[in-house]
Amino acid sequence: MTQTDVDPGTLANVQFRQVGKPLTRTDAPGKVTGRTPYAGDYVMPNMLHMRVVRADIASARLARLDVSKARALAGVACVLTADEVTDRTAATDIPGQTGQKRLDTDQPILVKDRVRYFGEPLALIAAETRDIADHAAELIEFELEPIPGVYDPLEALKPGAPLVYGEDNIVAERKIRKGDVEAGFARADLVVGNTYKTPFQEHAFLEPEVGLAWVDENDVVNIRVSTQVIEHFRPIADAIGVPHNKVRVRGALVGGGFGGKEDLTVEVYLALLAKQTGRPVRLEYSREDSFVGHGKRHPFILTYRTGVTKDGKITALDVQMIADAGAYVFLSPYVVLYALVAAPGPYRVDNLNVFAQAVATNNMYTSAFRGFGALQACTAYEQQMDEIANTLGIDRLELRRRNFLKTGEPMSTGFVPPSAIWTEQCAEKAWAGLGEPSPEKGPIRTGRGLACYQQSYGRLTFLHDTSEAWVGVEMDGTVVVRSGVTDIGAGQISALGQIAVEVLGVTLDNVVIYNSDSAVTPLAGTTTATRALYMTGNAAKQAAEGLRARLAERAAQEFGAAPDEIDMAFNEVFVIDRPEQRMPLVELVRTCAAEGIHRSELAIFRAPFSDFLDPETGQGQAHPDYAYGAHAVEVSVDVETGEVEVLKSIAAHDVGQCINPAAVEGQIQGGAQNGQGYALSEEMLYEEGRLVTPSFSEYLMPTAMDMPNVECIILESRSGVGPFGAKGIGEPAMTAVAPAIANAVADAIGVRVFEMPITPERVVTALQQRDAS
Amino acid sequence: MPETRTITLRINGREEEGRFPAQRTLLEALRHLGHMEVKCGCEKGDCGACAVLLDGMAVDSCLTLAWMAAGKEVTTVSGLGDLDSPHPLQTAFADGGAAQCGYCIPGIIIAAKAIIDAHPEPSEDDIRLGLSGNLCRCTGYTKIFEAIADAAGEMRAEGGAP
Amino acid sequence: MYAPFELDIPTDLDGALAALANGGGKTVLPIAGGTNLIVDIRAKRERPDRMVGLGEVDELLGMDFGPERIAIGGRTTVSDLLRSPEIAQAAPSLIDAARLFGGLMVRNTGTVAGNIASGSPAADLVPPLLVLDAELTLASASATRTLALDDYYLGYKQDARRPDELITRISWPRLPENSANTFYKLARRKGDAITVTGVAVTLSVTDGSCTRARIALASVAPIVRRVKEAEAVLEGEALTPALIDEAATAAADACTPIDDIRASAGYRRHTVQALTRRLVTQAWDRLA
Repeated sequence: MTQTDVDPGTLANVQFRQVGKPLTRTDAPGKVTGRTPYAGDYVMPNMLHMRVVRADIASARLARLDVSKARALAGVACVLTADEVTDRTAATDIPGQTGQKRLDTDQPILVKDRVRYFGEPLALIAAETRDIADHAAELIEFELEPIPGVYDPLEALKPGAPLVYGEDNIVAERKIRKGDVEAGFARADLVVGNTYKTPFQEHAFLEPEVGLAWVDENDVVNIRVSTQVIEHFRPIADAIGVPHNKVRVRGALVGGGFGGKEDLTVEVYLALLAKQTGRPVRLEYSREDSFVGHGKRHPFILTYRTGVTKDGKITALDVQMIADAGAYVFLSPYVVLYALVAAPGPYRVDNLNVFAQAVATNNMYTSAFRGFGALQACTAYEQQMDEIANTLGIDRLELRRRNFLKTGEPMSTGFVPPSAIWTEQCAEKAWAGLGEPSPEKGPIRTGRGLACYQQSYGRLTFLHDTSEAWVGVEMDGTVVVRSGVTDIGAGQISALGQIAVEVLGVTLDNVVIYNSDSAVTPLAGTTTATRALYMTGNAAKQAAEGLRARLAERAAQEFGAAPDEIDMAFNEVFVIDRPEQRMPLVELVRTCAAEGIHRSELAIFRAPFSDFLDPETGQGQAHPDYAYGAHAVEVSVDVETGEVEVLKSIAAHDVGQCINPAAVEGQIQGGAQNGQGYALSEEMLYEEGRLVTPSFSEYLMPTAMDMPNVECIILESRSGVGPFGAKGIGEPAMTAVAPAIANAVADAIGVRVFEMPITPERVVTALQQRDAS
Repeated sequence: MPETRTITLRINGREEEGRFPAQRTLLEALRHLGHMEVKCGCEKGDCGACAVLLDGMAVDSCLTLAWMAAGKEVTTVSGLGDLDSPHPLQTAFADGGAAQCGYCIPGIIIAAKAIIDAHPEPSEDDIRLGLSGNLCRCTGYTKIFEAIADAAGEMRAEGGAP
Repeated sequence: MYAPFELDIPTDLDGALAALANGGGKTVLPIAGGTNLIVDIRAKRERPDRMVGLGEVDELLGMDFGPERIAIGGRTTVSDLLRSPEIAQAAPSLIDAARLFGGLMVRNTGTVAGNIASGSPAADLVPPLLVLDAELTLASASATRTLALDDYYLGYKQDARRPDELITRISWPRLPENSANTFYKLARRKGDAITVTGVAVTLSVTDGSCTRARIALASVAPIVRRVKEAEAVLEGEALTPALIDEAATAAADACTPIDDIRASAGYRRHTVQALTRRLVTQAWDRLA
C-alpha cells in the first residue's frame, strides 16, 4: 500500500500529462518476455572465451608463475601474464581524490610480484571454448610466498604495521572543524559516547560482470559490457596504451549495479585480449569471481560523542570515523568525504568536529556502494539519537524533532541546501504508519525503530559534473531520445522518455530511447551518486524544451498566436485559449522539415560547480542538494535464539517530484531489502583476507520469505534541483533502513548490538552480557 | 575423451538438437542453442535466475544436466508469451513495476507460473514459499508478490490461461 | 562446467546396480536430483569418472502407506513429500523440514535418498527421519539389506553405504496414538538457508507418562544424530519443567558443534538447549 502526499501549495499551478504517473516502463515488456539482451547475451562468430586466474592468498610474493602447460593445451589462443603487460597499470587513485596522487597506488593489471588481496588477478586466458579455458586454468602453476599482511584498519594504523603500499597505510583523511566544540561540550548537561561498527557488504547484483570485446575496421576496440559507467573508455584506453578515441564502450541494460559496476571490472582484460588475439573475446565472471572481482562496501568504525542539554538539544558533536579501504585506493577518499559531510545527519549541529580516515589493509578493496559512506554515518548517528533519547528519557521522535535541520539552515559544511527539508513530516508519517503494535508471546518480544537521514543526490560539486542529451522528433511525430546514460534497473531511460514526452506532448509509446554508447549517444556521465535523474533528466528536459520552443514558434506562426500561447499534448498542437485551433503534431513536424527547421536539440546540463571543501574546516559546498526522509520498522525478536523478524517496514521520503511513482516505490522497496540484509543477515567473512563466504548460500540476502511488504509514503515538495523539482531516491531509499532495524531490535530487547549484522548470535550474546552485568 | 551425445530437447514447443558432453548443464545447453532469456546468476542453485519448466515443473537449469531433460518439454519465460501476446504474468509484472533490472525476472516468472499452476488462488504464504529459491536484489519483492496475485486473478477470470 | 565424465542411463534398478557394481576401480557416482552433486562436481569436491543417472529407474519412486509402516522410494522428491496429505498426517516433522528445504526448484528435484546420502551434518530431512525411527533399504547387485538410519552415519561425510549400493527405500513405523512430531530449523534467514541448529522431536504419551522420546539434532555434530542421553531423561516419566530442562541440558552437553561461518559452537549449544526445551515443552503441553 502506498500513500502519496503532495504539497497543496505547489499542486495548484502544475498539471502533468505524463510525468508523475505510474506508466509501464519502456524497458519492462522486453524484460518480462526475455527479449532484452543483457551484455552477456551477445555472441560473435569466431569468439574466444576468457578466464581470469587469481591469487589464493591475500598478501604474498609471486615466486613462480608457469603458464607453459596452459599455453600448450589445444584450443588455447592466448595466455597473458604480467610479463606481457609489464608496465601496464590501472589508476585507482585519481588525482584530486586524495589531494595529490599517492605513490605506488596504481594496481598492476596483472600481478607482477606483489599480491595485495585475495583474488588479485595473475593471468588471463582466452580459448576456443569455456571448457578449454577452464581446463587451461587448472594447468597454470603458481607459487605464492606469504608476506605478513594486515587485515584490521586499527592494526594497520599502528606503528610498524605491515605496509600495503606507499609510506603508511593512511589512504585519505578529511575533517570538519565548525563552531566551538569544547564550549559546546561545556554547555552540555550530558555527554553520550558510543562506538558503532558497520560491516562489509556485497552488491549481489544478479548479473555477474560480463562483456564482449572486438576490434573493428577502424582499429577501435569495442566493448559491450555490463557497466554503470561507459565513460571508462578513457581509463581503458590509458591502460592498454591507445588514444581515447580508439575505445568504444557500448553498454546494455544492466542486471543490477548498486555501485558495484561503477569501477572498471572486466573491461581492461577484454580490451587487452581482443587486441592481442585479433578475435572477439567474451569474459563472464562466475559468481565466485564476482565476489572477489569488485570492491565492497567499506566497513566503518564510528565513534560518536554527543553533548546534549537536559531537554535534548545537541550542543556539540565529536565524530571519529575509520574506514577499511582494503588493498587499493579506488573511491575510498570520496567515500570518507561523504561520511564526513553526513556525520551529524539531518540535524542542526553548530559545534562539530569530524575526523574521517580511510586505511589500507590486505582485505578486498572497498569502493562505491549505494549510500557511499553517508549510509554508514547514518547507521551510527541514528543509533546514537536513540541512545541519547533513552538516556534522557525523551521520546525518540521528539528528541529528533528538537534537533532537525530546517529548510534554509546551514548543514555540516556550512552550506545551505537549496531545497525543502521535510525530515520531520517524513518521520511523523513513517512512525505513525506502524499502526497498532504487534502482540508479544512467550520468548517473542517486539520493538520499533525509526531512522531519519540526509543523503546527497548528484556528484561532488568540485567534480564539475555535466550531462548531455539529444531529443529529436521524427517525420511521423515519434520521438527519439539519445543519452549516454546507463540504465541499471531503476528505470533511468524510461524516466528520460517520460520527461521528453511530457515536454513534447506525445505519449510514452511514441518514444524510443537510445542509451549507453560512448561513441554514438551524447555523453551523459555516470549512473552513480543518485545523479542519473537529476543530471540526465535535466539535460533531456532542456533538450526537449529547446525543441519544443522551435516547434511552438512555427505553430504560433501558423495559428497567428504568440509562442507562449501554444500547448502540445497527446500528439496534438493547439492554442491554449482557442483549442479549436489545433493540428496533429505530425503535420507541424512535416512543415518544419519542409522548411528546414531543425527537428532536434542537443543540450548540456551543468551541475553547480564549486571548489574543494576547505581542507582545514571542511566548510563549503560538497553536493548540489540533499534528500531527506525516514524509515520505520517493527521487529520481533526471539530472546532465546536471537532470531529477528522484520514485521513492518515503512518508508517516507520527500522525493521532490515523482517522475514515475511505480519506479520510485520500486527503489524504496528495494532499498528496504538492501538495508535489511545489511542490518541482519548479509555477512562477508574474511580469514586473513581470504573470503570464506563467496556464494549466495553463504552470503545471505533476504529472500521472499524474509521481506515484509514494504509500505511507501511518498511526499512531493517539488523543491528539488532535478527535473520538475525532483530529488533523487536511488541511494536515499536505503540509507536509514539498517539503523531503524537496529533501533527496533534494541527497543525490543532493551540492549543494543553495536555491530552489524545483528545476527541471532550477537543478539543472544548481548542479552547474556546484560544478564551477567 | 569425455562422452558427447546428441540430445534432442523440446524447447517452447519446438524440437532442437545439440551434441553435448555429459557434464553440460541444461543452462549451458539452452544458452548454447540461443535461448539467452535463461539467465546465469550463480550456477549452484542459490538464485533461481536460470529456472525453467521441465514438463511443467520448475527446476534450476544450472542444476539439471542437459541429458536429464532429453525427451521432456522445456519451457522458458519466452515460451510463456511474447511482446505481441504476453502471458498474464508478463503483463502483470510489466505494468506493476515488478521488473527493475530484470535479470532475475525470467526465473521468477517461471517460479510464479509453477506457483499458480499448483495454487490457482495463491495465498501470500504460497507465493513467498514458492519464491524462496529466487533471489531479487532490486525490488524487495513487494511488487513481485502483487504482480503474481494480480496475474492469478486475471488467469482465474480468463478461466485458465495457457 | 569443465568436469568430463562418462554416463550410464540405466532403465531399471538392476541396470543401475549393475552399472554401479562395474566400476573397475573408477569413481562411479549415482545421480538422481543432482542438487548436491552437481554443485560438488562444479566445485571439484567430487570428480567422478562415470555417473549413473537414476532418472529412468522407476522402482525408486512411489510411496506406500501401510497400516504399520510408511515407505517411500529413494527418488521421492522434497516436493513429493509436501504434496502428500498422508505424509503431512503421518510425519509432520518431515513437512516442517521440507517446507524450508532449499527453494522451490531444489525441492522439486532434490530427493530424500540424496539428502540422506549427502552425509551433510546439516541435512534437513534427516533429523525428522531419525525421530521417526526410519530404516533404509540398501541394495547392490549382489544383496539387499536394511539398516536403521540411526546406524547409517559413521563420521563426518562418512556413511555405511558402499559405493555400489543405492538407498532404494526409506520406511518408518506409524506414530503411536497421542504422539507429537516436530522439527525446528534455526538459520540465518528464513528462506533457502543452511541450518545453524536443527532440532527434531517425537514424543509419545500414554496415561500421563512419556512412553517414547526421540530427539535428533542437525548441524551441531559431525553427523546428524540422536541424543539418546536426553531421550533417556524423558522416557517413562511424567514431564516437569525441571525434567525438560535436564533433558535440554543433556542434549546440549551431548552435541559436539564447531565454530563455522554461520555460528559459533557456543551459540549452537545454547540454541540446542533452548530449542530442545521449547519443542519438548510444546509437545508435552499438547499431549499431556
